[in-house]
Amino acid sequence: MSIKELKKTRIGGVGVPTPLIDGVDKVTGKALYTADLPAPDALCGRILRASLPHARIVSVDVSQALALEGVIAICTGEDCRIPFGVLPIAENEFPLAREKVRYRGEPVAAVAAIDEKTADKALKLIRVEYEKLPAYFDAKKAMAEGVTAVHADKPNNILREVHAEFGDSEAGFASADLVREKTYKFAEVNHAHIEPNATLAEYETDGGRLVIHTTTQVPYYVLRNVSKCLEIEEAHVRVIKPFVGGGFGARTECLHFEIIAALLARKAKRTVRLLQTREETFLAHRGRPETSITVKLGMKKDGRLTACHLQATQCGGAYASYGIITILYTGALLHGIYDIPAIKHDGWRVYTNTPPCGAQRGHGTVDPRAAFEALMNEMADELGLDPFAVREINLLPQVPYVTAYAQRVMSYGLPECLEKVKKASGWDERRGKMPKGRGLGVACSHFVSGTTTPKHWTGEPHAVVNLRLDFDGGVTVLTGAADIGQGSNTMAGQMVAETLGIDWRRIRVISADSALTPKDNGSYSSRVTFMVGNAAIDAAQQLRQILIEAAAKKLDARPEDVECDDEVFRVVGQDPGLSFAEVAKAALIGGGAITVSGAFNSPKEFMGDRAIKGSAIGATMGFCYAAQVVEASVDEVTGKVTAHKVWVAVDVGRALNPLAVEGQIQGGVWMGMGQALSEETRFVDGKMLHGNLLDYRVPTSVESPDIEVHIVESIDPNGPFGAKEASEGMLAGFLPALMDAVHEAAGVWPHTLPLSPDRISDLLDARDRVKK
Amino acid sequence: MNILPDFRLHRPATLDEAVRLKTQFGNPACVAGGTDLLVNLRRGLAEPRDLIDLSGLRDLNEIQRQGDELWIGALVTLARLTRDPEITSAYPVIAEAAASVAGPTHRAAATLGGNLCQDTRCVYFNQSEWWRTGNGFCLKHDGDKCHVVAKSDRCYATYHGDLAPVLIALGASAIVVREGGIRRLPVEDLFKEDGAHYLTLAPDEILAAIALPPLGAQRAAYVKARVRDAIDFPLTGIAVALTRENDVIAALRVAITGMNSAPLLVDVSKLIGKPWGDETATLLSNALRSRATALATTLAGPKYRRRAMQGLARRLMDQAWAQESTNESANE
Repeated sequence: MSIKELKKTRIGGVGVPTPLIDGVDKVTGKALYTADLPAPDALCGRILRASLPHARIVSVDVSQALALEGVIAICTGEDCRIPFGVLPIAENEFPLAREKVRYRGEPVAAVAAIDEKTADKALKLIRVEYEKLPAYFDAKKAMAEGVTAVHADKPNNILREVHAEFGDSEAGFASADLVREKTYKFAEVNHAHIEPNATLAEYETDGGRLVIHTTTQVPYYVLRNVSKCLEIEEAHVRVIKPFVGGGFGARTECLHFEIIAALLARKAKRTVRLLQTREETFLAHRGRPETSITVKLGMKKDGRLTACHLQATQCGGAYASYGIITILYTGALLHGIYDIPAIKHDGWRVYTNTPPCGAQRGHGTVDPRAAFEALMNEMADELGLDPFAVREINLLPQVPYVTAYAQRVMSYGLPECLEKVKKASGWDERRGKMPKGRGLGVACSHFVSGTTTPKHWTGEPHAVVNLRLDFDGGVTVLTGAADIGQGSNTMAGQMVAETLGIDWRRIRVISADSALTPKDNGSYSSRVTFMVGNAAIDAAQQLRQILIEAAAKKLDARPEDVECDDEVFRVVGQDPGLSFAEVAKAALIGGGAITVSGAFNSPKEFMGDRAIKGSAIGATMGFCYAAQVVEASVDEVTGKVTAHKVWVAVDVGRALNPLAVEGQIQGGVWMGMGQALSEETRFVDGKMLHGNLLDYRVPTSVESPDIEVHIVESIDPNGPFGAKEASEGMLAGFLPALMDAVHEAAGVWPHTLPLSPDRISDLLDARDRVKK
Repeated sequence: MNILPDFRLHRPATLDEAVRLKTQFGNPACVAGGTDLLVNLRRGLAEPRDLIDLSGLRDLNEIQRQGDELWIGALVTLARLTRDPEITSAYPVIAEAAASVAGPTHRAAATLGGNLCQDTRCVYFNQSEWWRTGNGFCLKHDGDKCHVVAKSDRCYATYHGDLAPVLIALGASAIVVREGGIRRLPVEDLFKEDGAHYLTLAPDEILAAIALPPLGAQRAAYVKARVRDAIDFPLTGIAVALTRENDVIAALRVAITGMNSAPLLVDVSKLIGKPWGDETATLLSNALRSRATALATTLAGPKYRRRAMQGLARRLMDQAWAQESTNESANE
């Protein structure tokens, strides 16, 4: 189907602003989240957490707690001997600590009791004896000589070291007119998803099977880990994802509380509700690690880049989680946005005694991209070049383009993104002429549309979508994809509605219930629209063919002569045709209800190059590109930075649902703003100080600037109807764009984020000392 | 802890009954809007056996003229302070300060009395019970040491209320009711510099109202620093009430919040009779420096809070000095 044929008017059609199919349920409060699920007889689960950041567990005595009336079950490390983790090569976390605790707040024991008060009381009766070990809260100290290993298999506490070079960076720097090297520091941030973690683990008394309702982006990984840790058949676990209040990467792996709820339910032989406080949700963490980036760029007088060398050190927390992928990403996405002759990358992912970091929107790419773009702006300033010109001269020369990292760029709307934000922001007229205390800044960024190499290689397709058509003429879309608010249910429905040419209301989407829906790897790395979207189209095309054949039979015509649109099947050029209901009934004759299964597989050439180590990370079929201009001011008295306006242009391939795309883009920019302005985790001796939404400073609506979104459609040849990723690629650009704007406003180049009032005050004071 | 601890709830219908209840029980807690207390109770920061719900005391929910004073009942919500014509016309500074507290849903529930009497705060105190257990508790609650000032014999938790400094600068009085009588005291005397025992109210006393003298020719303003312009408590806050006569400072009251364990009146007597300029600015700066004691009780460090206090005080005075006085005729 060519793009021209698409109708631009029908709700649910491609390119038509379509309200999310569950939007009304959410705003009216009808939607049930995990904590809302009725389970009147459920026991209350509570977790006892480590009081020390690093210690050997000498003993855990639960006898007194177990004797307390109303306590039904208590689990400790003894109840689970199988470690879990999201990467098969780095499963090193136990749901309840065994032998050692590695961060303050790590679960040590868990109680299921008749109510919260009893559970709380029981926790206080559990005696844990520890033998304190040296603890490390920053990467440098954790890597120093003679340290105590956090994990025995990594004596120097480095989870993964990465070194790669493409092209000749030494020659590149030698040929440059200007070489600069600077270090940028990024505080650790958390997703601050609004729904706290929660699991309802139902125990089926007639056979001991478990039904897990949980706050997850990855129901399949939860099922896999629960079954593994409990040493029970996967068929004996059903995972259902109810409505979920955001994820942003926090829930892209099975987390300890989910397995703990299952362990408690099995032991108690009862349903257990395990609700986590905001503090516990912060402790589960999996956010973006504190990162130090030293970036060196070589530039010609005209702004052309000759070489890049980027070194990243991440303070990764106590367990592996996604760490190996995160550190690889700091190098992988140095490619694919500009044409750079030589790229060198070094990375260190370090274990520390803090809550484990994981994946967060823009996974692994945000801090290196921000540092890179910030230095680009500083060097443009030094060379007297317009930062737009510096970007334009380094654009990819053509598409398709193959990066040194073996990524294939098939569509590239970045040039148009730059043009759009330049014009919309009035850059040429305003930059450099802003009133005192105000400035404009620019930066670019990009992200993958799903990873083409799955973490668990099973030989199965990347995505499978089933469609069901029965006597009522309703089309049910069954997908394992986890809608966590991003709108994947709506997207899947749209793909089917558009391909079949049917009324939006004829479609129902059922998702993320392992007993009903085909397995999906989950909602992460912006894979769902690209992969699940394509699988949905595949399924819909199959169903369309079945319907056309049934119509052809009834119309006594050849299938290739039958067309269908707007729910009418007719022989080309002949009236009247058959209605959808008539054709559906005809199609059911003989076989009854129809189920088709569509799939998506990534072609091999998009899966990186085996000769390039690590190139499975950052291998994708399409990059989303973004350019943005930020207008900001600096208050010299309070040191406060305010973002007033953002112009952002994003190449999303094709905006399947412009309404959802605009929202996702604004959310992505906004999350970048939080990291740039005020969000950071804080610890004192490993004790988390930010475990609430007052001290962890997510911006409020007052801080939210007008974000003017410009959608660029490059129509990717492989995306569903040309679509690519639309919610991560724009995040990173906000940080360097704001740093650039702050420079125009106050004459200082910030190198440490967030740009909180105290940091800016220090910079202003240092500036004034130099002036004096 | 997520659930509230067990307590006996009392709902007096009259102020007399409330005072009687307060006298009767040892150390009861009073609640009105609950925006401060309930959060703290859920965190296990207090476990009162008795909770007196004052929200039924209608007399305390009024704004009325008493002679040349305006009396504001302790139960008047912050939301009402932001829009009541008596306040917005005669004391716009109060409406502005109230509008800057927390967020709209807080202001709809939070009361003037509760805002004034709000608990002091500290990063080592406003944490969960689990967190504090692992930190050995502290002087303010359940413990015997201070994590902010080692070997201190008093608590340094900080007072972060926004309305207190404004009322102090305006020379307002607190109307306190006790069994058989009423006591009137300057708002600044409601507080003392001890983070654990920051109120001077006797066990049998209830804050009933605030009495505001006429603004007269004063130019009053309040400003604060914080990371986010909603929700966040002030990292420092300054209120001024300035009477300018020609080119001299005829009268001036300055109060600060967010720095010490109490909102404080700053001694600015050296500025009186002088013009506002660099010399008096230095005098004000010195007065503030000697009065304010910012310590590491907040995530933003004391150095920042001191810098912001000084900068904002200067800006506030510059503005007040230059301001076209609109109140001179309105209040006379």
